[in-house]
Amino acid sequence: MEAVGKVFTTAAGERVEALTPTSLDIDAGEFVSLVGPSGCGKSTLLNILAGLLEASTGVAKIGGRPIHGPDIDRGMVFQSYALFPWLNVIGNVEFGLERKRVPKRERRDIALAFLASVGLKDFAYKQVNELSGGMKQRVAIARAFATNPSTILMDEPFGALDALTRRSLQKQLLQIWQQNRKTVVFVTHSVSEAVVLSDRVVVMTARPGAIKSIIPIDLPHPRETISDTFRNYERQIYADLESELAKSFALEGHAEQ
Amino acid sequence: MVRLLSRLVPFAIAAIAIVAAWWTVILVFKPHVSLLPPPAHVATEFWDLLASGALLTHIGASLGRVCSAWILAAMVAIPLGIAMGRIPIVERMLDPLVELIRPISPLAWIPLAILWFGIGESGKVFVVFIGAFFPSLVATIAGVKRIDPVLIQAGQVLGCNDKSSLFRKVVLPAALPSIITGLRISFGTGWAAIIAAELVAARSGLGYLISNGMEILRADRVLVGMIVIGVLGVCFDLFFRFVQRKISWGAA
Repeated sequence: MEAVGKVFTTAAGERVEALTPTSLDIDAGEFVSLVGPSGCGKSTLLNILAGLLEASTGVAKIGGRPIHGPDIDRGMVFQSYALFPWLNVIGNVEFGLERKRVPKRERRDIALAFLASVGLKDFAYKQVNELSGGMKQRVAIARAFATNPSTILMDEPFGALDALTRRSLQKQLLQIWQQNRKTVVFVTHSVSEAVVLSDRVVVMTARPGAIKSIIPIDLPHPRETISDTFRNYERQIYADLESELAKSFALEGHAEQ
Repeated sequence: MVRLLSRLVPFAIAAIAIVAAWWTVILVFKPHVSLLPPPAHVATEFWDLLASGALLTHIGASLGRVCSAWILAAMVAIPLGIAMGRIPIVERMLDPLVELIRPISPLAWIPLAILWFGIGESGKVFVVFIGAFFPSLVATIAGVKRIDPVLIQAGQVLGCNDKSSLFRKVVLPAALPSIITGLRISFGTGWAAIIAAELVAARSGLGYLISNGMEILRADRVLVGMIVIGVLGVCFDLFFRFVQRKISWGAA
């Protein structure tokens, strides 16, 4: 992979401007989180990067090449897991490998290795609907990493999980990311999740979406969520978010008068 | 096996209840034997028809017509249903036509079928085709439309870049449970339609057995035909449910 970074300049939305022209560079192997209020265009941006949406202006590039449609080089993890219920666990992880025409034996070995790294090796031949939400998302993470993409896009992947499951999945994600250094773009509502995971946190503004600030998190992993420096980062992000919220409330107030 | 038996118990109870009611009617109203014979008479007639081979011939005739029409209906309904479910313009064009023809009972087609095809096999296959077509079509459209869009997206980011691989790897397996349900219901409606078609115009089949029984005032023969139709209908349905459990992922 020759990717040194992504240049992103776009505006999306057909009439409703979901995302103002926005530029963002992400380094290869970097973990970047997008946080912001609902409707700030963070999912829009992610879908453009995935190739599931076309940018209406500007170009999204990866490794210098413009993004055209979905590609197996950009893996995705969805909030609702999106596992294929007609395949068993290992069948889901092998799906992308099969599309890449990886031979059968090798496919199974890779899938088992990634299932092992999310602690689900013993569940390889279970049916998907026998798993809990947290386990499903671990399968989805294994599935996304197994195809060896350059980039993994995660759309509020832990949003539907309880707090404890969430913590343990964050740890597992960091582990698997440290072993397989992919560029990760991670959309979340949770400020502390963003600070725990990311190299940089991108704070976005409410409609139309734009980048408010970019905050590098300079803390070694594993991060202690109760340390003062951690709290300071959280405080800084909340401050940016709240001034944004106040602004959007004020705007709505005006509109009503 | 135990599961199968436990499924059959309610049917056995229903059968006993029917026979009990039947006996009661005979004891209370004492109808003439040509109108309502006692169960024992019907059982004897059943054995006679079975032993002579006539019953199996009629079953075979009906079943052959239903199977061929059902397969034909599936071959048209499934591709059409997928096209209507996936391509909005196809649906907009064909949906009014489907909605217009669907409420017309397959039995209403029998006169036309006789006019067009005579009383040969093709007329009956045509009537069953009409009966079997719509349940499969409607179930296929629904199954394709109900696919969670996020599964399509997951397929796309996992390497199904072109429409055909996306179709084979995601759309078809995702819609399969609905399609199989449609096929099962289709077989049931087809089975109902063939009896009606044979009542009117046939020289073989269970429907013919019944109408012939009426003409020669043999209520026992009519009842044998009806019971066989019911029991076979249940058997087919159980068989399809069994197949459904074996091959589809989301089935009830």
